[in-house]
Formats: sequence, C-alpha cells, structure tokens
Amino acid sequence: MTNKVNDARIVVDELTKIYEPTPLWMRALVRTNIKEPVHALNGASFTVRSGEIAAVVGPNGAGKTTTFKILAGLTTPTTGTARVMGFDPIKQSVQVRRSIGWMPGDHRSLLMRHSALDNMRFHGRLQGMSGPSMMRRIRETLEMVGLERRARSNGFSLSAGMLARLQLARAMLHEPEVLILDEPTGAVDPVAAHDLIQLIKEIVAETGIAVLISSHRLEEIETLDSRVLLMDEGRVRYDGRLDDLRRLWDKPTFEIDFRSAGVADAAAQSLLNAGFAGVSRKEATISVALQDGVTHSDLLTRLRDQIEDVTNLRETRRPLQAVLAELYRTKASAE
Amino acid sequence: MSAAKKPMTTTQAVFATATSFFRVDLIEEINYPISFAMRLLGIVAPLLPFFFISKLVGNSPEVGGDYMTFTVIGLALTALLSTAMNGFGITLQRAFQRGTMETFLVEPVPWTVIPLAMNQWQVMNGLLYTAMLIGTGWILGANYVLAGVPAALLIGVLGVIAGMSIGIVSAAVLLLTLKSTPVIRVYDIAASLLAGSIFSVGQLPGWAQALSAILPHTYVINGIRTALMANPGSYEVSLSGAVTALVIFDVVVFAFGIWLWRRTLEYSRKMGLLSGY
Repeated sequence: MTNKVNDARIVVDELTKIYEPTPLWMRALVRTNIKEPVHALNGASFTVRSGEIAAVVGPNGAGKTTTFKILAGLTTPTTGTARVMGFDPIKQSVQVRRSIGWMPGDHRSLLMRHSALDNMRFHGRLQGMSGPSMMRRIRETLEMVGLERRARSNGFSLSAGMLARLQLARAMLHEPEVLILDEPTGAVDPVAAHDLIQLIKEIVAETGIAVLISSHRLEEIETLDSRVLLMDEGRVRYDGRLDDLRRLWDKPTFEIDFRSAGVADAAAQSLLNAGFAGVSRKEATISVALQDGVTHSDLLTRLRDQIEDVTNLRETRRPLQAVLAELYRTKASAE
Repeated sequence: MSAAKKPMTTTQAVFATATSFFRVDLIEEINYPISFAMRLLGIVAPLLPFFFISKLVGNSPEVGGDYMTFTVIGLALTALLSTAMNGFGITLQRAFQRGTMETFLVEPVPWTVIPLAMNQWQVMNGLLYTAMLIGTGWILGANYVLAGVPAALLIGVLGVIAGMSIGIVSAAVLLLTLKSTPVIRVYDIAASLLAGSIFSVGQLPGWAQALSAILPHTYVINGIRTALMANPGSYEVSLSGAVTALVIFDVVVFAFGIWLWRRTLEYSRKMGLLSGY
C-alpha cells in the first residue's frame, strides 16, 4: 500500500506572498506601478502526490504563477512553507531544480534559433547528463512527444503545438519527479491543446510523476479529469474533483415544451402554486431550476394535468465557467 | 537511479554551464556568418584613418615616436576592455528580452556561474577583436617588441578580469532595473579617453590625469605599451606598477561584484523580478 504521507511530492502550507512596493531609491532607475503592497498569496495550502495531476484554476491575479515561482525557487514566500520532494525551494534550491520539470507557457523560453536537438542537449548538460546516455534519453523523449522527425528543425520552423511539445520534452528529459506546467497550452490551438493534455495524462499514467498544471481553459481541465485547485485572491477556494464540484454547485435546469403557450402558462402556475421555486416561462416552454431534494418525478407528478400536451423534455446544465463564477462570488461574500 | 539524477559537483556544474553556453553561442554565431564577418571588418576598419594620421604625427616624442603602434595598442585594448565590461549587460538583457532567463535559472547550476558563462562568448569575441587589431596594425606598420609579449599577456588577462568585474557590478544593477543603464556606456567612453587610447595621458590636464590614475584602463593600455613598445612615450607606466594596480583592482572589484550580484539576485528573488521584463 502506498504511504500517503511519504508520497507527497509537493507540499504547500499556509503560503503567503506580499510583493512590496518598489523602494523610492529604485524608482530612479525603473518605472513601477507597484505603489502599495500586493498580496499575491494569502495562506494557500495543498499537497500533490505521486501519480496525481492537480490542475490549478483561477482568474488572473489568483496567485497561480506566484505559487509556481515559489515552488521553482524563482521567488521567496513571505510566510508559510513550500516543499518539493521534501526540499526547501530557497534553501535547497539546486536539489529542487533537479527534481522538477519546468514548462512555462511562453515558448520563447526555448532557444528559438537552435534545433530541437540542441535545445534538449543544452538542458541535458545543465542537468548533469552527458554522452550516449543523454543522447538516448533525448531520442526517447522526443519520440514520446512525437518530434523525433523534427529533431534537427530549429525553433522558428516549428508550429506552436510542436513548440509546446518540445517544451514538454525538455521538462521531462531529466526524468523529474515533479512536473510544473504554467499554462502549457496558452499559445496553441484547441486541437493541439487537447493532444498535449492527453500526452500529459499518458506520461503521468506511465511514470507516476506528480503534476501541477495551471490553465485558463476549463474544457482542458475537464479533459484532464483530475483534481482541481480553485484559487482566488491568493487562497485555495476548492480542492477536489471537478465532478464533485459540479454536483455541489450546479443545479440542473429542467425544460419542458408544451403544445401551446397557454398550456405552458397553466403548467407554470401549477408549479408555482405547489411551491416550486425558480420557475419561468418563455412562449410554450417552461424552465424549472431543480432545487435540493426535488426530483424529476416530483415535477412530473405535479404536471399530470398537462402531461399529454408535453412535446419535449430536456435537462440543461450551466457552463462550468458559470458554476465557478458563482462559487467565487458566494465564497467571497461569505467572507 | 538514472544518470540524470546523479548530483553534479560544483566543478562539474561550472564546466557543464560554461561548455553549454559556449556551444549555444557558437551555434548562433555560425547561423549568421555574414554578420560575424562584417563585425570583424567594422572592428579593423577604424585603424585605416590612424594609419594616415600616423604619417603626420608619427614621430612625436609624446607617443614614443611611433604613433601607429601607440594607437593600435590603445584601440585594441579599449575594444577588449569594452567587450569584457559590456558583455554581461548585453547577454543578460538579451536573455530577459528573449524570455530564456527564467528557464536558465530553473536549471540546477549555481546562479553565480550563469552570467559568467553567458559572458564568455563576448570575452572571446573581445580577444579575437584584439588579435585582429594587433595583427592588422602589424600589417599597416606597427612594431612590437616580442620580448614583451608574456608581460603584455599577463596585463591583458588582468585587464579582462577588471573589465568583467565592472561588468558584474553593472549586471547586478541591470538585474534590478531589467534594463541596461547608460552609466556603463558613459564610463566606457570616459575610460577610453582618460586612459589615453589614441593620445598620451600626459596631454591631459592635471585633474584628468588624477582621474586616469584610478582607472584600470590606464594601467592596461599603458602597461602593455610599456611591454610591447621600444619607447612607450612620455606617460610611462612601469610593468610592476601596472600589474600591482590591476591585481588590487581585480581582487577588490571582482569580490565586490560577486557580492553585489548575489545580493541583488536575492533581492530580485524576493521582489519577484527574476522572470519578468
């Protein structure tokens, strides 16, 4: 049986980060917009275990990138702790950087005037790889992302989708224990993004690597079928499965078409009289937002007088984006 | 455990970083051969006017009676020091602008080594430019005392370290501002003037000569003139004086540069400036 505690590869505990305003003496050298402290993280906590994908979702300024940068050692937390494979990203920076595969969203992080092979070789050497074993691993990794035939193509001749796959190959080259992907599909089209997400899922299934990924595209998060960390204002608002989130927050709407607007109106009145909430009518169609504890059967039983005039029935679900927006609003107002 | 998981020793990390960045810069240079050739031409072309000027003022005692050799050495070493000094700023700013800096910093190699490795190509270019200028000067009639070559090489190496030390200080400032400051360019021009790259320091007014005495450029250019010229002119810097001044400068400014670089790196990390531009 897997030891859940020891299996934790990323542990973030009550992390806060305050970006202080640029000091006066520095403003002579650089223009700045930060005049007051910016609270990028306000006590974020989560754990990612081996073989797990944790998708970080949240609006701009939610604290996603700051969290990632703290984990990679690129910035320091104000309070709280972060651990990658048990190492402190600041005090044991080199060990952390050896343990993670880093993929920023911007493909400019590649050496664009160099070939895919040269990019891989450069990264491999800095990771302490060399000789035939490095070349073998480069071939394997390029093959894994489907770029083995483009190994000698330089960055400028690769499509955005290929560049994203090359970045993923680079991040995986040194066989890291943790993969940190900051909006990896940001620059690619939906089809290439879907392929990349599938590839990430395959890699996790095959290697058991822990993945922390951020994305603005909710359809991608659904494709990942993973654990979701909803971040907002520097906190983790929700940590769990997307399906559970839907069940908790999404109340489906039941739509019923009738033969005429008159019958629909009578049906709506009947439901309102019976105490159903969230009933509305548009021409010959009524919509009912199903509240907790109310079943389809309850609804249809109440409409028994109009049932023969029903021409169509359907259940609609709100877009995930709307569910998340409501969740953010509700949690924010509760605080 | 895979080969990739074996931790590197510091020596291995330094070697891997140096060779990796060297290879990357070499490949980039090979991709643009015409640009490289034109740059070399641009370096040696300014010697031609001095060839004709030397016909006019060549026998002045101020320049040791050999203005061509005097100027070739001055220009060659100014180019070398300028490249060593500005290389850091150029490569660092390029990495920030291209977006590669963040990826470099996520590699498991010491952060102090990265800018040094990034600058090595610029220093090598500087050495090549210097060799080209010295060689072209010789073709145009410059005369060198071959017995002084070892001393000249020693002073040259100390000069490169001095230039790099100033470059590290400048790069530390760039890390905070994310933009190269004009201060280093102003210093570069002022130093080449005050060190007497194309005229004797003895021609300068007293206050300027006092400023000149605190610049490493003065000891590099005039020390090498002493080593390579039969008569270095009216402003002569002894070899031992040049070496002593440069060693002191290198130790103090290099140590300060590395300290400042580390401090600004930590500060930039705290302020979240490391991966933005």
